[in-house]
Amino acid sequence: MSLRRRELLVGGAALGAGAAIRQLPGVSRADAAAPVEGDLSESIPFEGVHQAGVLTPRPRHAIFASFDSIAASRLELAEGLRALSESARELTAGYDALLGSPGEGPTPDSGVVGPRVMPDGLTVTIGFGASLFDRRYGLGPRKPRGLKPMTTFPDDSLVAAECHGDVQVQLCANTEETLLNALRAVSRATRGVLGPRWKIEGYLPSPARETGAGRNLLGFKDGTANPDVANQKTMDALVWAGQETPAWARGGTYQVTRIIRNRVEFWDRVSRSEQELMIGRDKAAGAPLGKSRELDDPDYDSDPKGERIPTDAHIRLARPRTAETEGSRILRRGYNYSRGIDEADQLDMGLVFVAFQRDLERQFEAVQRRLAGEPLVDYIVPTGGGYFFVPPAARDSQDWVGSGLFA
Amino acid sequence: MRRAVAALLLCLAWLLAGCGSSEQTVHNPPAAPLESRVLASGNIPRVRAADLARPIAAYRRYVLAELGPMQGDVGRLQSAVAAGDLAAARRAWLAADGRYEAIGAAYGAFGDLDASINGEPGGLAGGVRSAQFTGLHRIELALWGRGSTADASPFAARLASDLRRLRRAVPGIEIEPLEYVLRCHEVLEGSLDLQLSGRASPWSGDALVALRSNLRGTEVVLGSLRPLIARRNRQILPAIDASLLALRRELRSVALPGGSMPRWDKLPAAERTLIAGRAAAAAESLAYVPEVVDPRPPLPQKSALGTEEAG
Repeated sequence: MSLRRRELLVGGAALGAGAAIRQLPGVSRADAAAPVEGDLSESIPFEGVHQAGVLTPRPRHAIFASFDSIAASRLELAEGLRALSESARELTAGYDALLGSPGEGPTPDSGVVGPRVMPDGLTVTIGFGASLFDRRYGLGPRKPRGLKPMTTFPDDSLVAAECHGDVQVQLCANTEETLLNALRAVSRATRGVLGPRWKIEGYLPSPARETGAGRNLLGFKDGTANPDVANQKTMDALVWAGQETPAWARGGTYQVTRIIRNRVEFWDRVSRSEQELMIGRDKAAGAPLGKSRELDDPDYDSDPKGERIPTDAHIRLARPRTAETEGSRILRRGYNYSRGIDEADQLDMGLVFVAFQRDLERQFEAVQRRLAGEPLVDYIVPTGGGYFFVPPAARDSQDWVGSGLFA
Repeated sequence: MRRAVAALLLCLAWLLAGCGSSEQTVHNPPAAPLESRVLASGNIPRVRAADLARPIAAYRRYVLAELGPMQGDVGRLQSAVAAGDLAAARRAWLAADGRYEAIGAAYGAFGDLDASINGEPGGLAGGVRSAQFTGLHRIELALWGRGSTADASPFAARLASDLRRLRRAVPGIEIEPLEYVLRCHEVLEGSLDLQLSGRASPWSGDALVALRSNLRGTEVVLGSLRPLIARRNRQILPAIDASLLALRRELRSVALPGGSMPRWDKLPAAERTLIAGRAAAAAESLAYVPEVVDPRPPLPQKSALGTEEAG
């Protein structure tokens, strides 16, 4: 019996994979959700209208580092943020490293990527937490209206040491060494002004492995239903802050970063069909249950009672695809993480969930409220993260991210 | 607001660095508070080992001047332990540890006596149960970890005799000139590694006492080298002084009435972030000192730009 069951499963998987390949040409939405493999010379401009690292494709590695300001004055904070942008600008463009010479004091550059620092697809995305707008620097009146400290949701198990922060720096690049060089450079450039608070490193699966969205550590494709980043109208509606924010903040966006641990040992002890019913997708192909391709519409209208895709399945609650809920869509840009081992000798790994949106309450929090109590909550444990406002990009080589706060 | 002045100084040094490098196309990290990367130039002769004899002799006198009162602290520790007075024993221990942390620049010269007086269990097979785990931190384990004066008793006696031996040895110990100038930033690097991580004093939580002492010791080393530095490089001293002042003020702002320090592990996270940040910034500014007063013969120049051929 068990052999036949296995054959069935393999057959199903093969069918799904074939289906996914057939629909490959001309697909842009799945590509946007897919990780990309870039090369060392790939350079993504630091300057522009919007900061890079939001709509730009996800390279395979990321570090999320949160800092608290230890600046003693508003001027010092401004200089620290300027230094952060200057460091980011150099790192994203690439440069000849200063490795130092006898008589010159401490080494100027870490040297971990050798004499030539290649851009390597690096993006440095800078965000400000609500706490930066508290009484310390008198920035309160400039606070983007929608920014607030990360909400604690009923299913959370937050650890104070990895929550919130005045400034978050999201570093993404093709290789880890580029990220570590960048992290050391920006930390050093800002050490007198920004104190590290927490950091987490993430990765994405190789895009050579399969097409479409990458898999999370639950083994499911994740990010398939993302809005189309190539559609400017959609991005303006769902991602970029507009007239509702102060002038300096327009063209920015709100970032949610959530460290969501996956209880992978427990998850692995659950049958595939149970897992699929909790997620709502086929594990192999990533297609909505009962459909054959990853990008197929789940067609909830034909399944009002949830006989095919349960009404409490993750994808159905997250995006019910009704006229009322489409405005709550978010742009996800997460990374998988793996770190230590807990007190019960269990692996600590999961998802650095990242979402960008124009309105935290109308979008991310609305989705969270729908997901409250979903069957999947037994297997996922949000432990940290924060809400950050990602201002518009530096306009030109003299400008820096956040300059509008001090203008 | 108390920090504003120091911070502004740092900030200005930083701004200067930015202005100086704006014409260069190469990377110049703002961490370097310097207009020029060449630290000791011009016609001033390099520091020779002989130039450091006087600073080192002064430092040796400072060490002896600290060890004398420390012997008194350890005597009080022994009495309190003998009387079973835990609170008094802890007070005496904190005073003794504070003294010892203030002479950090000389540890390397103390040899085995340092391990016996200030050793940590981390590098010993068996950890805290190792017979080689003695001295201040073994007593700390007894007084805080176990709340026991009896457990501390043999170690307090051993500490007193080790300290007497050390005081007899100090006038004759050799402090290497290169080691000495490196200590200028290495003492605070040690604070960041051992103290602020909570590793050195896990039971008493006295990292702030140690850091305050480390800072005092750093200022003594820096003070002894100041004339040698100032003749060769005037740029680095204002940034160093500002960063040390900022750290000192931060420590003062968390001190309890009477000058004692709260436990590091009980300090609010925001205060810890501030103090760790000031300590790291001070270490960064001090890191420019050793090469200015490096007593070794000059090394051949290398191109700072890794991709260029050496000139």
